[in-house]
Amino acid sequence: MKLNVDGLLVYFPYDYIYPEQFSYMLELKRALDAKGHCLLEMPSGTGKTTTLLSLIVAYMKAHPLDLTKLVYCSRTVPEIEKVMEELRKLMTYYEKELGMEQNILGLALSSRKNLCIHPSVSKEREGKVVDGRCYSLTASFVRARHAADDAVPICEFYEGFDAHGKEFPLPPGVYNLDDLKEYGQMKRWCPYFLARHTITHANIVVYSYHYLLDPKIAEVVSKEISKTSVVVFDEAHNIDNVCIDSMSVKITKRLLDKCSNSITILETTISNMKENDSKRLEKEYKRLVEGLRDATIARETDMALVNPVLPSEVLEEAVPGTIRTAEHFVAFLKRVVEYIKTRLRVQQVVQESPAGFLRDIHTKVCIDRKPLRFTAERLASLIRTLEISDLTDFSPLVTVSHFATLVSTYTKGFTIIIEPFEDRAPTVSNPILYFSCLDSSIAIKPVFNRFQTVVITSGTLSPLDMYPKILDFHPVIMTSFTMTLARPCILPMIVSKGNDQVAMSSRYETREDTAVIRNYGNLLVEVAAAVPDGIVCFFTSYLYLETIVSSWYDQGIIDQLQRHKLLFIETQDAAETSLALINYIKACDNGRGAVLLSVARGKVSEGIDFDHHLGRAVLMFGIPYVYTQSRILRARLEYLRDQFQIRENDFLTFDAMRHAAQCLGRCMRGKTDYGIMVLADKRFSRADKRSKLPKWIQEHLKDTLCNLSTEECVQICKRWLRQMAQPFSREDQLGISLLTLEQLQSEDMQKKIQLRAQGV
Amino acid sequence: MADEDETKEYRWESGYEKTWEAIKEDDDGLLESNVADLVARAKRKRAALKATGAIQLGMMRHLFVVVDASACMFLQDLKPTRFLCVLKLLEVFVHEFFDLNPISQLGILTTKMKRSEQITVLAGNQKKHIEALQHLKDLSCEGEPSLQNSLERAMNGLKNMPAHSSREILVLFGSLTTCDPGDIQKTIKSLKDNNIRVSIIGLAAEVRICREIAKKTGGTYNVLIDDHHLKELILSQVQPPAVAGSIEASLVKMGFPGGTPTLNDGTSDSSADHAPAYCLCHIDSETSSLMGPNGYNCPQCGSRYCELPVECKQCGLTLVSAPHLARSYHHLFPIKPFVERAQVPDATHCFACAKLFVEAETNVYECENCNQIVCLDCDLFIRETLHTCPGCASDPVTAQMKTN
Repeated sequence: MKLNVDGLLVYFPYDYIYPEQFSYMLELKRALDAKGHCLLEMPSGTGKTTTLLSLIVAYMKAHPLDLTKLVYCSRTVPEIEKVMEELRKLMTYYEKELGMEQNILGLALSSRKNLCIHPSVSKEREGKVVDGRCYSLTASFVRARHAADDAVPICEFYEGFDAHGKEFPLPPGVYNLDDLKEYGQMKRWCPYFLARHTITHANIVVYSYHYLLDPKIAEVVSKEISKTSVVVFDEAHNIDNVCIDSMSVKITKRLLDKCSNSITILETTISNMKENDSKRLEKEYKRLVEGLRDATIARETDMALVNPVLPSEVLEEAVPGTIRTAEHFVAFLKRVVEYIKTRLRVQQVVQESPAGFLRDIHTKVCIDRKPLRFTAERLASLIRTLEISDLTDFSPLVTVSHFATLVSTYTKGFTIIIEPFEDRAPTVSNPILYFSCLDSSIAIKPVFNRFQTVVITSGTLSPLDMYPKILDFHPVIMTSFTMTLARPCILPMIVSKGNDQVAMSSRYETREDTAVIRNYGNLLVEVAAAVPDGIVCFFTSYLYLETIVSSWYDQGIIDQLQRHKLLFIETQDAAETSLALINYIKACDNGRGAVLLSVARGKVSEGIDFDHHLGRAVLMFGIPYVYTQSRILRARLEYLRDQFQIRENDFLTFDAMRHAAQCLGRCMRGKTDYGIMVLADKRFSRADKRSKLPKWIQEHLKDTLCNLSTEECVQICKRWLRQMAQPFSREDQLGISLLTLEQLQSEDMQKKIQLRAQGV
Repeated sequence: MADEDETKEYRWESGYEKTWEAIKEDDDGLLESNVADLVARAKRKRAALKATGAIQLGMMRHLFVVVDASACMFLQDLKPTRFLCVLKLLEVFVHEFFDLNPISQLGILTTKMKRSEQITVLAGNQKKHIEALQHLKDLSCEGEPSLQNSLERAMNGLKNMPAHSSREILVLFGSLTTCDPGDIQKTIKSLKDNNIRVSIIGLAAEVRICREIAKKTGGTYNVLIDDHHLKELILSQVQPPAVAGSIEASLVKMGFPGGTPTLNDGTSDSSADHAPAYCLCHIDSETSSLMGPNGYNCPQCGSRYCELPVECKQCGLTLVSAPHLARSYHHLFPIKPFVERAQVPDATHCFACAKLFVEAETNVYECENCNQIVCLDCDLFIRETLHTCPGCASDPVTAQMKTN
């Protein structure tokens, strides 16, 4: 249907629209008009993707000068494929309506592993190996050697692309990963490099967060995206953690041992080269004297080793004399590695600032800050010069060089923590050095500064006001949309006590209490008896899950449970968990019914959907606070308090509630779906927790559902499930939660939508 | 939707009912009254569907009723227990079933402890079934049910029934889980291949596999709201369903036993027909006694039966009487569905029950033949019970035309 969104003609590829989709478009358009950033929360299953795409494409068509490109960042490959499918639907609709080809090019970009079509390289399973082998076939020096000697293997697809691909741009259309591969096969061009080349002039680019947020990759892939772009981060409730992870480094003892090996390899290669071809090393030395910029004449294929963000003035400078010659640099690296090794030999936990670390390294092994800063660059240059084509072995050394560069570049917002052993196993010596980023705004700052509009959206972003604080930006629009429903298809409940009136809580003081554990068990058994098919339970941690299950076993609760449903448990092993998931789905499909015990923040709680019968109920046992004894977390809390005036407790609650909301949202994936959400902890009913739930859940969490006992909860469930089981068809939704064009345009509905927009 | 006969039970027996919550303002459009609305609409839809008339109905039905007897049937959310409530309603069902489908057969199965048990075999004698149901009351409910086992068992019984009859299974399923020995998908497939329709009534909540079975085999799946709704759901199974696919029409051999013995009109009667004899349906039971001259003799083999309709035990002939067939007649010529109209100002009351239309009732129903206007309740009543339009019947002209 064709919509009029605040004066903008929007082609929407479906015959029906949800009212909240229309409101979403209104808000999004306002943000685009204002050229500002926005935060939008809309429940999952209400068609966020298609709404975003259709409005932004319409906007691009209407204002081709103001908005040239859409960069859509998603988390996983399946999600990227979903976006591409929606985009294809939209473009088909455009073609049908306008009767001509549309001049819009949309493509998906993923790693080499997903795009490679080289007959042997593409067989590799591990991303790193594919990258390494690709590099060994396409690096410039390999190709130069090939020119001299035909026996040196190269990649014919890359050669094909290099020879012809750059002149002929991709024809307009929508290309997902498979389309790109097919096109590459047809033309015999490398799809990966084709896609990377095409990014600069494509209208719509869909790729993973990391291509934009991880400075090591963003520099290479996303450098040339113009300012007049809109960037969308979908499923962005964890965006601050992604930012932090991309800037943090973890160094273990094993990694350092591997580094020493790599250094020996470097040494031997250098001495060999000195004997055979000393000119090359001299040439490199000269180049370095002239300045680092020239040394890294960006050859796109040489990207496997890239530096973390360096302030551009650093790049302008010449590499300091102490590390210019190859031997000196290797000796320098050795010193750094040895120094870190000595630092790891600690008996108690050490925490220090980057400045303290720099002072210490200066006094102990006489290394200045400046050469440290250039470590990553210099290592990349050296590896290029030495023509080492197998990069996989060097990744530990690269990690250390990144650490050296980062620690000397940033003095604020980072901390160094050295732990001699893990807290859970204090007798096993396992020293780890964490270089931890505390400030999520560092990684995302360039994105906010560079692009005119950044859209952060997810099903669960509540409380909205926290994100601008921790990401340090000023949104022009901040809105949370609720879900209009023809029937009350979610049932959130807070169960605060067992039948014996003992309060339920995962509080540290009471979590070992058998009465609490037994009450949790009884709740699960009774819910399992009343709810059909699949039930998903979330615990606060693996440790807690294990202790609870073992005491349930002793109390006979597991036996009772298995009378109603089969039991599956998520473990830290990914293979085991996916096997459990497959069988869980099987048990739900054939009517036996199943319970899945999993952990908030685990693999199951993020990204796996339990729609319809797979998740009729979600139980949240306890509030999923992050492990508060972690030193990294404490450092971050301290930093947030000092820098952003966020109280520790506020942040912890925020973080716990967004994970709880994520878990609860697993069972609701659309308007025809229905699910029970049980929050089993007394503390959930406090206002500070309750008010942090997403609006679409809060709306259904009436006061009468906030302080229930197990028995009351089960009674409500039973009645509600019977209501939900009554026949429900599309006609029942029409006019309330599903609108035709006429209904949307009716004055009544427009008024309602306006009201809703203002009510926020 | 609350139970009307609430007064009979003690307060502590009933569930948590917050009566003050029943009064709800309906401003945001997602409250319980909406669900009630949906139920009413579904009712109407069902009635309309049944009345379309053009479809072929399977009048000769073979039906297995599977009753869940697992542990969960002891729950007391239906009074006195789920199991007893279901059995009681089934008695009504059996009665109504044979009333409306006199030439059909019925069998009863139960499922518990992961097994399935046959209570009665397929037969056309309602007394036997009702007796069996009454015996069932003492059965203890335990273990888990098995959908697959009971479906397989019912299928084995139905497989060999003649192709012109409709084969059906009705499952009353209280449990939310099923404990099956193998892949139930295979069972669903063979049910489909055998043209068996499975309808399921859930007593607790929507179970996905039940919905799937019903959908794939062309049956219906419903979940009750309370015991009244359950009764409605069970009785809705009394109506013969539309024939799935094209079953070839065929001639069925039937026997019409002679009338009362006093009228010796000489058609099939010899003096032997009226000699005292044992009734064949009661011959196995200890209470069997010699019957007098009353009873019905099979015209083919001469066996004596105390009541009709019945399938002859000796020669397998279906014995019916003419009125039985006539009773099924209305299935063939259902009355046309009434037209839904917005309230008309000149009609102030329902033609059938003379109830005044109130503001809240937005829709009334009009018969296309006689243009009389009735309310929703009467519409449903006419369609489901009466099978004739009171307007048309009371109008001398149309009534005359019909008899001509």
